[in-house]
Amino acid sequence: MTNLLEIRDLRARIVGGRDILKGIDLDVAPGEVHAIMGPNGAGKSTLSSVLAGKPGYEVTGGSILYQGRDLLALPADERAREGVFLAFQYPVEIPGVNNMYFLRAALNAGRRQRGVPELDAAQFLKAVRDKLKLLDISDDLLRRAVNVGFSGGEKKRNEIFQMAMLEPKLAILDETDSGLDIDALRVVSDGVNRLRDPNRAIVLITHYQRLLDYIVPDHVHVLSDGRIVASGDKTFAAELERTGYAHLGSAA
Amino acid sequence: MLITQESASYQDAVPPGGQPPWLARHRAAGMARFAAEGYPKRSQEAWRFTDLRPLTASVFPPAPPDPVAVDAATVAPHRLPCPSHRLVLVNGRFAPALSDIGVLPEGVWLGSVTDALRERPDLVAASLAEGEASLAALNAALFADGFVLAVEAGVTLEAPVEVIHYADMGAPAAAHVRNRMVVGAGGRATVIETSTGVGAGWLNTVTVVTVATGGALRHVQLQRDAAEAIHTSVVRGDLAGDARYESFSLMAGGRLSRRDIQVNLGGPGASVALNGAYLLRGSQEATFAPVVTHAAPHCRTDEVVKGVMQDRAHGVFLGTVRVHPGADGTDARQLNRNLLLSPTAWVDTKPELEILADDVKCSHGATVGSLDEASLFYLQARGIDPATARLMLVEAFAADVIDGAGLDEPIRDHVHGHLRSWLDGLEGGR
Repeated sequence: MTNLLEIRDLRARIVGGRDILKGIDLDVAPGEVHAIMGPNGAGKSTLSSVLAGKPGYEVTGGSILYQGRDLLALPADERAREGVFLAFQYPVEIPGVNNMYFLRAALNAGRRQRGVPELDAAQFLKAVRDKLKLLDISDDLLRRAVNVGFSGGEKKRNEIFQMAMLEPKLAILDETDSGLDIDALRVVSDGVNRLRDPNRAIVLITHYQRLLDYIVPDHVHVLSDGRIVASGDKTFAAELERTGYAHLGSAA
Repeated sequence: MLITQESASYQDAVPPGGQPPWLARHRAAGMARFAAEGYPKRSQEAWRFTDLRPLTASVFPPAPPDPVAVDAATVAPHRLPCPSHRLVLVNGRFAPALSDIGVLPEGVWLGSVTDALRERPDLVAASLAEGEASLAALNAALFADGFVLAVEAGVTLEAPVEVIHYADMGAPAAAHVRNRMVVGAGGRATVIETSTGVGAGWLNTVTVVTVATGGALRHVQLQRDAAEAIHTSVVRGDLAGDARYESFSLMAGGRLSRRDIQVNLGGPGASVALNGAYLLRGSQEATFAPVVTHAAPHCRTDEVVKGVMQDRAHGVFLGTVRVHPGADGTDARQLNRNLLLSPTAWVDTKPELEILADDVKCSHGATVGSLDEASLFYLQARGIDPATARLMLVEAFAADVIDGAGLDEPIRDHVHGHLRSWLDGLEGGR
């Protein structure tokens, strides 16, 4: 099967800083769930930021192909419209911008790009109801401004709800488990599992193995000091839990 | 009389005879005062930040009373989307053919200054005061017309009064407009003023407001003047005990504009809400200068004013809350927040408290910032293009002050519509 995402020797840094990513290679095929694990400072968030096109980072070497196209040549908004979705580790509060208004604008921006008719208010509302039901989320979140006054768990749930609405081809979940208690973790994980799809790839970026008890990945990679130093199947995560990352640090 | 060059230009403009002696006296006094003072000077603290050169560099003779090009279709797009008692003033004069005052309840007088001089001269007389300064003094000397609203005690005017000031002045010309609003004890009314038009005219208005005990007046001023227009405006309000005045100002038009709102809280329990926004681009220059005086105990001020500046636009906020000795139990909040969208846009903000009483709760603050990068990226990461993302954030910033102004729905939506139409004109608009 052709890969959805092909990362080759990716090197990147915060503008003006030293390289944080020092040569990442990663292939992701549609339908797969990859977990990228690693200690703090390994470069996990830099990888997700570079994939999403966050300003303030520069790529100093290597390439990223997404659906065979040069992903790095696209601005962040175009990547999103082409089906790349980043679930933020720290979702941003945006006072004054209503959640529904924002989401409809985002959804229709993607539909315009794909040449699909935009959803009117009624169609949009129906889609919202369907996804809320799928994810078991209460609709009062939607009446508020984007993430304003949301608890940590609500923010993460809102990210997964947006993912459900936008139906990305590639979803990158950046530390989606951080700050969640066990109940919230279960709700969010159930949501992600329902969004697993043969045409959708999911990259889970996480510090902790516990997320992988709920979302079982096809592949597990260990990121350390800017490189993927070890990879394995789902059983690898449990092994890591026992042995820790430390012995892998110099494996590359 | 000392004749300065400034006043000499206007001597001939004083409306001739056919007016009561008391009015002639006020006009003469106004002209004398303006002759002595001239235009405001930047050496005066309250005018330090305001560049008046567009005004002082030209002479503005009285505007032609009846431009033929202004008809119902010209004014229609600026009307409220709900039933109203409508007055239209074209170049500062009442235009009966464009107006529809409709049926007024018992106890309400609404009409032009010209009509009021015949039927209710007392209402016009009360709009003139001794010792008006510079531009207000010139207004007293030269005003041709205006609107007058009087609501008697205990009367509620349900539908809003809508006043449209339409300017169509080709060459530099001025319309001096004097308005009077008085609400009796326990009375209620809402007034929405919109100023708009074409050309490089100068609209100079003075509005005198009185609200008696327990009365309430809501006053919305939407300023969408032509790009080359100048608009100076003074609102002077006096509130008795438990009276309420709610003012919302949108300043989004004109080359140079200045709005002075001076409210005296004269009786215990009076309250004022002074909210507004200035939305400026190009080389627009706008000053919003609300001054509230707490002269009685247990009065309240709520003031939130937001500014958005793009290009080389310059906004000025000069907010003052004065608390007189003995005005204990004063509760006053004053906040000015500004958003700069270009490196060359700028703002001067000076929120001030002058507190001469002991037992008060007062706060004031000002912020100046640019769009939040994290928010911009969040929106783009969901597929929203950068220009639209910026507009969403600017709209959110400014919409907040509209939503907080306590306006009823059709009027609130109407004000939001003005905000959106301004946003549509921003560079990289949606």
